Amino acid sequence: MSTLKVENVSKYYGDVTALEDISFEIEDEFVVLLGRSGAGKSTLLRCVNGLTGPTEGAIYLNDEEVTGSRADIGMIFQQHNLVEGVSAYLNSLTGSLSRVSMLRSALQWQSHEDKLRALEALETVGLLEEGHQKVAQMSGGQQQRVGIARALVQDPQLLLADEPVASLDPSSAETVMQYLRKAAMEHDVTALVSLHQVNVAAHFGDRFIGLRDGQKLFDVGRGELTPGLIDDLYGSVETVSLATQASTKGNGVAANGQDDEAEPTDVEQEIEA
Amino acid sequence: MSTPPSKGNTLAAYFGYAELGDSPAEQKLQDMKRRKTKRRLWTLGGLVFTFALFYSSLRIIEFNLAELVGQLDQFQEALAAYFPPTTYFGVPFVDLGAYWSFIMEENLILAIEGGQIVWGATFVTMSVAFAGTVLGLPLALFFGVMSSERVIPYPFNFLFRGTMSLIRAIPGLVWFLILIPLAGVTPFTGALAIMVDTTGYLGRLFTDELEEIEDGPIEGIRSTGASSSQIVTFGMLSQVFRQFIAWIAFDLEHNVRAAIGLGIIGAGGLGLELYIQRQTFNYTEMMACIILIFLLAASVELASQRVRSALREDDTVERSGVIESLATAPKKIIASTMGRR
Repeated sequence: MSTLKVENVSKYYGDVTALEDISFEIEDEFVVLLGRSGAGKSTLLRCVNGLTGPTEGAIYLNDEEVTGSRADIGMIFQQHNLVEGVSAYLNSLTGSLSRVSMLRSALQWQSHEDKLRALEALETVGLLEEGHQKVAQMSGGQQQRVGIARALVQDPQLLLADEPVASLDPSSAETVMQYLRKAAMEHDVTALVSLHQVNVAAHFGDRFIGLRDGQKLFDVGRGELTPGLIDDLYGSVETVSLATQASTKGNGVAANGQDDEAEPTDVEQEIEA
Repeated sequence: MSTPPSKGNTLAAYFGYAELGDSPAEQKLQDMKRRKTKRRLWTLGGLVFTFALFYSSLRIIEFNLAELVGQLDQFQEALAAYFPPTTYFGVPFVDLGAYWSFIMEENLILAIEGGQIVWGATFVTMSVAFAGTVLGLPLALFFGVMSSERVIPYPFNFLFRGTMSLIRAIPGLVWFLILIPLAGVTPFTGALAIMVDTTGYLGRLFTDELEEIEDGPIEGIRSTGASSSQIVTFGMLSQVFRQFIAWIAFDLEHNVRAAIGLGIIGAGGLGLELYIQRQTFNYTEMMACIILIFLLAASVELASQRVRSALREDDTVERSGVIESLATAPKKIIASTMGRR
């Protein structure tokens, strides 16, 4: 059980507006952030994680304001951000750093529970057997799963992932997303994941938040992500396809009145073809 | 094409000062000759100046060719003493036994007396280098890490960077002289001098290595809610651990050579033994010391290079053979002693 509340968050880098007045609240859901590169997805995730602070507004996790990096928010990065020279197990174990002193962690004197937790997290992402291997020797998909394991060892209230599958092939991407969703379910945590692949997003997300030019464009539930919304988000890009879902197809047009009907049906026909 | 130049004009034309030529090409040719003349005059002036300097230098050092010639006999004697001749199975060769008996007599390597090991000069030199390296290691690590801009923000990291620059500006030999009041003219002071030297050099190498690490792992560790010292340890140092070990091996190699140089000015070991033998004109014994010095420097270098290339699988570390290590040893010993690498 956890609640993430983002309240009127804006972020400026000099004259550049990265985020403008973003507000939403999520509770125990698997939420996908959609948007073009530069739309502000990464900035929003970094703000929520506390790696950077918002210029205006505030972010609350369980009614407590997020001001810096903290253990109960786990983050999964596009480029993994693992220590490549050491084993998957040691990387997973770094998720427990906030619970031990500098000296104990440097000597690897973590508690037995933490060590077990690190291995169990690897088991959750299906990498227990490979735990001793160096991360540098693993495939991109496996590395990303180690990243998920590290986040799980933090015992988080909230899981964040910044384009976790952007650099992976479709098959590895699906595996990683399955493990990510499984991890979020098993640990009963709120997840906020930014994705580029609309079909992957539609397949795994409970709810979708669209960002365009730093502003929130839509915030819709599982059945409400229509091709029209996707078109609004990315402009008319022909190769963006929305995976056909029974629920999506039915009420797609109805839920979204402002679009002319020609466009969405167009896209849907493409998908079916 | 143009009018044929008169006799007096030829010389002027050669040096490029003749007023001739109507076409732009001919004028350019004259111009270029003029430039060449000026260049030659400068070269001539430079040669004269250099020669004058050389001559006065010879006067100052009292260079005397006659003395060299007069001393040739003595040098020949010395050479015979450096390389005492003998015959093995009728083949003339250097008397290696003479070296060996001195090495054993003076216990330059090690001896066992009454069941106890007595460490010889070779091991004293080695110990000065090793103890100095290990003592300097934590300091080098501290200064190296604190100099990194990612750990200490910009203007303040220069406090540590500056300290290391200051240390490096002073050669190890001079550090030894500076530290003599602290622990006397002893191997101990030698190790302290090497400790200071290591702080400056190894610390700098660490800093350089830290410049090249990636931001990703640092951010990754930071996102777990780790403390700042944990971020440095797990996010930064873990990325360069192997490289650090390789640099330590490299620095130990350098320090062994420096310890030999320090020995000559009093820090004991092989250097001191060499100096004593020179003062007493025992040339054979001197050469025995020099041979041991070569062997020590070359074998430490070989070992260090093997360690480094094993640690940096992807990186290419120059590997030199036994012969090359021996051949370049003297040059490297001097460079290390003078604080250069």
